[in-house]
Amino acid sequence: MKSIKIFQCENSIDGIFTAIYQAWSCGYGHANVKIEEACEKNNYSNIELFSEYILIHTDFEKAVKVSRAIKRKISEEVYEMICRVALSNYQGKGDLIYRFLILGFHIGSSIVDHLSNEVVNKIFKINRFVSNEVHHFLGFVRFSVHKNDILTSLIHPKNNVLSLIVPHFVDRLPREKFAIIDGNRNTCALHLPQKPWVLVDVVDSDSLDEYHKQDGFDEYEDLWKIFFDNIAIKERINPKLQRNNIPLRFRDDMVEFIPVSRNSILP
Amino acid sequence: MIIQEGMSIQRKLEILSDAAKYDVACTSSGVDRKGNQSGMGNSVACGICHTFSADGRCISLLKILFTNECIFDCKYCINRSSNDIVRASFTPNELCELTMEFYRRNYIEGLFLSSGIMISPNHTMELIFVALKMLREDFQFNGYIHCKAIPGADPALIEAIGWYADRMSINLELPTADSLKKLAPHKNRKNILKPMRQIQLRRESNLEYLGLNNSYGGSSYGSNKNILFDYSYSNGNSSGNSIISSKSNSNKDIGSNSNRNGNSDISSNSMILVDKGSGSNNILMEDNSYSRSPKSKFVPAGQSTQMIIGASAESDYHIMSVSEALYNNFDLKRVFYSAFVNVNQDSNLPSTHNGPPLLREHRLYQADWLIRFYGFKTRELLDEKNPNFNIIMDPKCNWALRHLELFPVEVNKADYYTLLRVPGIGVTGARRIIAARKSAVLDFKDLKALRIVLRRAVYFITFRGRMMYPIKVDEDFITRELLSTKEKLPYGIEEDITFKQLSLFDDINYGTGGIL
Repeated sequence: MKSIKIFQCENSIDGIFTAIYQAWSCGYGHANVKIEEACEKNNYSNIELFSEYILIHTDFEKAVKVSRAIKRKISEEVYEMICRVALSNYQGKGDLIYRFLILGFHIGSSIVDHLSNEVVNKIFKINRFVSNEVHHFLGFVRFSVHKNDILTSLIHPKNNVLSLIVPHFVDRLPREKFAIIDGNRNTCALHLPQKPWVLVDVVDSDSLDEYHKQDGFDEYEDLWKIFFDNIAIKERINPKLQRNNIPLRFRDDMVEFIPVSRNSILP
Repeated sequence: MIIQEGMSIQRKLEILSDAAKYDVACTSSGVDRKGNQSGMGNSVACGICHTFSADGRCISLLKILFTNECIFDCKYCINRSSNDIVRASFTPNELCELTMEFYRRNYIEGLFLSSGIMISPNHTMELIFVALKMLREDFQFNGYIHCKAIPGADPALIEAIGWYADRMSINLELPTADSLKKLAPHKNRKNILKPMRQIQLRRESNLEYLGLNNSYGGSSYGSNKNILFDYSYSNGNSSGNSIISSKSNSNKDIGSNSNRNGNSDISSNSMILVDKGSGSNNILMEDNSYSRSPKSKFVPAGQSTQMIIGASAESDYHIMSVSEALYNNFDLKRVFYSAFVNVNQDSNLPSTHNGPPLLREHRLYQADWLIRFYGFKTRELLDEKNPNFNIIMDPKCNWALRHLELFPVEVNKADYYTLLRVPGIGVTGARRIIAARKSAVLDFKDLKALRIVLRRAVYFITFRGRMMYPIKVDEDFITRELLSTKEKLPYGIEEDITFKQLSLFDDINYGTGGIL
């Protein structure tokens, strides 16, 4: 029995694609290779016996080759699906994508219909989970206004969805300066008018948090709370339904669910 | 009537959002529109919910009244003229600022503007028009706008507003003309249906125009349509002091905007208005530059309406027939149902001290979906003998049990619409089954992976000719089995159902649909 080769890679789309390229081209046999991405805290899972570990350095050229092959030989739709899966918080997504691509290159664009296949089904579910979270955040992101009219927003998503939600806001608020901060991963997306947006790592997360939270008095936050409280029909109060629609985990970052601050004009 | 001078914006928002909350629709769907560099906003076809209020309903739009001053006295309405409540009105500018500031903080998807009727329907619609025009043109707002059309307003005003709004709605309020007369003495059915028809026809011609515009360049088609949509603004009494007509003396150059890009349709439409209109007020069409762009869309997200459920004596059958007719004849996107809440404690209306009829509302929505997406007809679900929905079973199960001769169906062969008729299989489920069975012969375990509700579907389907386990195809048996697996109702309605069950046999309003 051959020992198993495990390709360890960075937790990013490019990292996973590089590892897929390497594993595929090493000619060791699909059954004997495995891909393992670093998990979000940047370490790897338990080390397995009788296997050889190969550390992969992200190589953009190789990654681009893989993504081009997916788009050309399978479909754009599948490519987008895989990107979303690669941004999910699912452990073992690298290997899952590898298994999916084996099928995908064989079957082609109709691979998405093979829902009764276990791998396809899993990909389908993760993709849906990420898409749903993206859709949630399009609505649940809250900007607060700072000096110089900068808008900031802090979110804590389960999946690494920041890069998937920013284009929506760039299109919507083309003339605003805004920053959306992922508090779980310490990354931040920045947008300035007329410029392409950028994704940066946050080094000093505390001061950024402080900047976001400093409460300059904003009249519209209070107005929004007034509206939020008044629009509910008392005869139909239904906390369970509300919790089903907007789970508690989102609410810490949403102004209408945060108790009234000191500067507020509200009682 | 209490009117306060110099009211703060907080207080106004408090009063006018409180007064708007009984409107049901808060959807922002139906339009896909990219942002533009000069303004703010875009629109996403699937709609986005921004938060959920304490009653669990989605908040997507800034749902608000322009004013709660109202000359009408509809018995069910909190803002009726005979109520002694605090009255407030926004100015167009306040409203625009509020919308823009909420929008850039990503609180909302857009504006849902409704209003009480101040002075006259035309006066109110003019105010709304001014506000929307300001929002679109001065504030460069490119997000979603849903606007109410006031019954009885001049067609020219509806035509003008339609170019600014994404969706318009005219509330049907009550299912029949009789109960409308009883509960809303100032409204009549004709005034409600007329603007509905107007918007429908205008949308159709606009879509046709845009379609033709793409293929032929569109200039030849314009002439015959103008006859259809020749709405002159003929509001004689208010012409002198109306806000819109006050701008009219500036008499802008008509020729400057027309025939740009060779599309004469819309502009020539307004030129006819200029010819026929009586003097000053035809400017309404003239300076409506939003409609000038050859790509403008008239009410692109379509129109909706709403009915109050449980305030009058109509049966579910009656209500659903009305909805079906609205979908078929008026091309409505949605009909909303609003469980009646007796806010005025009016003794002529049914009491709601046990809570609003939420279960009934839920059943109507279920049936509404069956009609719109599942290919059902009202007559299949209800008839004169069973005019109301079963309270203990959803309409689709109920239908299936009365038509056991059609079941079981073979999952690997049945077509889309047959699959849709199986309880437990919905639109997504049916699509997934059809996709998945292209590549494999499906079995029970696959259905679980596709997230089909097997505990209900199992009585109605076969796989390769076999049922999951031997089942007696017998109405009583399946009914019992289905009832023992509890229906998943939205949160908050479960309590309602226990209450109803206690009074099952003396509640003549709810039939059991003949299945027990």
